[in-house]
Amino acid sequence: MKKTHIIGIIVIALAIGAIISTINDAGTYVTFSRAREHPNTEFTVIGELNKAKEITYEPEIDANLFSFYVTDKDGTEEKIVFHGTKPQDFERSEQITMQGKMVNNTFICNKILMKCPSKYNDGSEEVSIEASGS
Amino acid sequence: MEMEYIGEHLWPGIVGNIFLAFSFAGALLATFSFYHAAKKDAEPGWEQLGKLAFNVHSASVVGIIATMFFLLTNHYFEYNYVWQHSNTIMPMRYILACFWEGQEGSFLLWTLWIIILAQIFMRGAKSWLNSNMTVISSVQVFLASMLLGVYVLDFKLGSNPFILLREHPDMISLPFTKVADYASKIDGKGLNPLLQNYWMIIHPPTLFLGFASTLIPFSYAISGFWKGRFNEWQKPALPWAYFGVMVLGTGVLMGGIWAYEALSFGGFWAWDPVENASLVPWLTLVGAAHMMLLTKVKVPPIKLSYVLVTITFIYVLYSTYLTRSGVLGDTSVHAFTSLGISLQLQVFLGFFILVAIVAMAWNWKRIPKQKEEERLSSREFWMLVGSLLLFISAFQIIYTTSIPVTNYIFGLEQAPPNDPIAHYNSWQIPLSAIIAVLIAIGQFLKYKSTKARDFAKKISLSLLVAVTLSALIIWGMEMYTYYHWLLLFASLFAIAANMDYFIRVLKGRVLKAGASLAHIGFAMILLGALISTSNSKVISANSSGTDITALGPDFSNKENIMLGLNDTLLMGEYMVVYKGAEKKGINLYFNIDYYQLSKTGTGLKYAFTLKPIVQMNATMGNVAEPDTRHFLLKDIYTHITYADLERAQGLTPEDRELESSDHLLGVGDTIFSSKSIITLEKLDTHIDISKFDLKDSDLAVGAILKSVDILGEVKTAKPIYIIRGREVYTYPDTLDGGNLIFYFDHIDPAKGQVNIRMTELAPMKKDFVILKAIVFPYINVLWSGIIIMFLGTAIAIRNRVRVNSAGKS
Repeated sequence: MKKTHIIGIIVIALAIGAIISTINDAGTYVTFSRAREHPNTEFTVIGELNKAKEITYEPEIDANLFSFYVTDKDGTEEKIVFHGTKPQDFERSEQITMQGKMVNNTFICNKILMKCPSKYNDGSEEVSIEASGS
Repeated sequence: MEMEYIGEHLWPGIVGNIFLAFSFAGALLATFSFYHAAKKDAEPGWEQLGKLAFNVHSASVVGIIATMFFLLTNHYFEYNYVWQHSNTIMPMRYILACFWEGQEGSFLLWTLWIIILAQIFMRGAKSWLNSNMTVISSVQVFLASMLLGVYVLDFKLGSNPFILLREHPDMISLPFTKVADYASKIDGKGLNPLLQNYWMIIHPPTLFLGFASTLIPFSYAISGFWKGRFNEWQKPALPWAYFGVMVLGTGVLMGGIWAYEALSFGGFWAWDPVENASLVPWLTLVGAAHMMLLTKVKVPPIKLSYVLVTITFIYVLYSTYLTRSGVLGDTSVHAFTSLGISLQLQVFLGFFILVAIVAMAWNWKRIPKQKEEERLSSREFWMLVGSLLLFISAFQIIYTTSIPVTNYIFGLEQAPPNDPIAHYNSWQIPLSAIIAVLIAIGQFLKYKSTKARDFAKKISLSLLVAVTLSALIIWGMEMYTYYHWLLLFASLFAIAANMDYFIRVLKGRVLKAGASLAHIGFAMILLGALISTSNSKVISANSSGTDITALGPDFSNKENIMLGLNDTLLMGEYMVVYKGAEKKGINLYFNIDYYQLSKTGTGLKYAFTLKPIVQMNATMGNVAEPDTRHFLLKDIYTHITYADLERAQGLTPEDRELESSDHLLGVGDTIFSSKSIITLEKLDTHIDISKFDLKDSDLAVGAILKSVDILGEVKTAKPIYIIRGREVYTYPDTLDGGNLIFYFDHIDPAKGQVNIRMTELAPMKKDFVILKAIVFPYINVLWSGIIIMFLGTAIAIRNRVRVNSAGKS
């Protein structure tokens, strides 16, 4: 076998390896009910902040504890606990992407990404803010 | 009924639209003419027409940009672009950032750079002029079409920068469109606060110049195949490829510096999709440039050079698609929003993929065959391996970054990796380590073949140095992640070997050492990134009482610290004090004083003050910007993660919840406030009578209270006790800006004690900040690496240009 062929095979093998590792490491977008079926497994959920329910952040007690309620696209509502600080302008967010897992009836997340509409809401303008707990 | 508007400035828009039309038509005519001129036995008129058309296109683009600046500087908010991206309160120095914040502006910047490069290229293009300019002009056609904003059979082509606000589809029939003189009454939305930064003025133009510069090697590769000049195009294209490596590399790294200095990533590189999209073409371009060097070897890697050069340009287009089509939406912090040009970008991308494939397939049989194989001991063999590794590295990054695209195409519901940094690092650290080893051995290998003994003799010194230094660093910095050792050793090996080559072989002649310096710089970037990131330390551990690990060991996040106004907390080797916030413009600066603990642990010395910012932007939301103290050997990064902005500005009346306590004290007794130790020094009867309006018959005693706070600062308070006849008065004294009040209200002569009533503002009800502080060690290695790589590449360009022009005469 020629060296070129060996190299070619290695390159292809590495490329396939890269694809497989991406598929393995990739997260999954799910709804809360799915996250509930598989507690303690990490998922990504997209939902809307329920502004009527309480949004609790008491830095005096714990600066790294923030909780709120989110409704997902199926209409399921869950309490969210985020171990990090409350992002600026959190109340203005329209859509929240959360990464975390269901533990004892609470969705505990370590990363949230939010989208805020601008004040002059024309539907096309979005500001994303990422907050990471770890 | 048509509305009559007053105060609008319509003529610049008309002028701008004329320029847009000429820009598009010029590029189209140039493509057509150069295509004909490139044919065999073409009439010379085609070339002249092509040049003329391209010059018209060039002048029109300059005209478009000038018009846009005219609109921006005059605050003509009746234009959508001006309204979207600027306002009157924004500092004028950010006008450049306003221009390229939007899609239209950044496309124009890209087009402008291509024009400048093409004009330079045409001066020395010789036989490559017509075929290359056909490719370049056709790219300009696509770019110019992005700005047209015309409808072709219900399909909107491009997004016009001169559209009026009231004509914008989102604004139709909004109330303001019914106001005749609206133009004089509105203000713009302003510039995204994230972009109001020094780096935003230099980062985008550098990056776009890098993007633009990938087009010239691409045009050479396509012409080379089109005209059957398979092994000729590499040499003249090489200086341009080097230029792209230099500029694009600098642009990508500037993005990293911007993220480090101004964004809240908490680091230099976060594998954000937008960062990745700009890094990937650089990786393949570096591979391409190395392959293009090998035209004189027995088996020139023609196909690989071609693939790497074309894929670089295609990655640039693909990056543009990723970041501008809105497809990244959920996954990136700073992707552009969609302007409805997604399909157009797909066509742009698809067209050039097709061109590259067709040119290759068409000529497949005509490409000179490889008769021999490279030897294992030859330099060219390992350069080839290195380029392929760069290709794999780029592929791995782009594949993961493209998860939203594969979702979109195949209807999947994959989310990006839960821990993206670990995911990318698991591939990129080993790959970059192998590449660094190849960089180390490369220069000591000879073309064709190398004698093993010679090679071993030359490389052994560098190997020894690298092993020793690695061991010292691992031991000294307590680096216990074994796969980091790999990269640590490899990058040190690369630095040592190239230094050695520079000193022993090149005898320190800098102007010959382009490659060595560029390689040293690159290895220093790897080394600096590795050490500063893997050994970075979050020093702002949470010292509040609640234990959140109870909720689950995975979520024990204690990276944020809470600091009340004037409170002092221990953070790493520093004591920090929050000294309050001050407002300047729309920025709120939080003063965080750092005190150095002395070695003995007793004394404290003021070290420095950091002023992280929260920018209060009514339209875009509030944005926090870190502040970093740079030292020679480390950086200290401080970032506000949460603050009560109203309280910090003193807008809410302080909740004066007071806590009072009575203390019977004898001389020498001590009491504790929340922040200091207070000792009753003595009782003093020498009272300044006039100050307290006393009478001679009054009996007045002062209690001298000495307060020593945690920083060792000594203050004295002197509350006064006065007996006038049968009445008793007390004059309180305060410390700590009025937060601590002492009343002297009783004397017990029998016991020799006095009663001091201490009243303190409850500490947690005052202003506070929550912050995160990280120490990045040896990050200066990274910054110096960037500069050295830039200089090295610049020297290599100079030498290449000299070699090429000498070869031609």
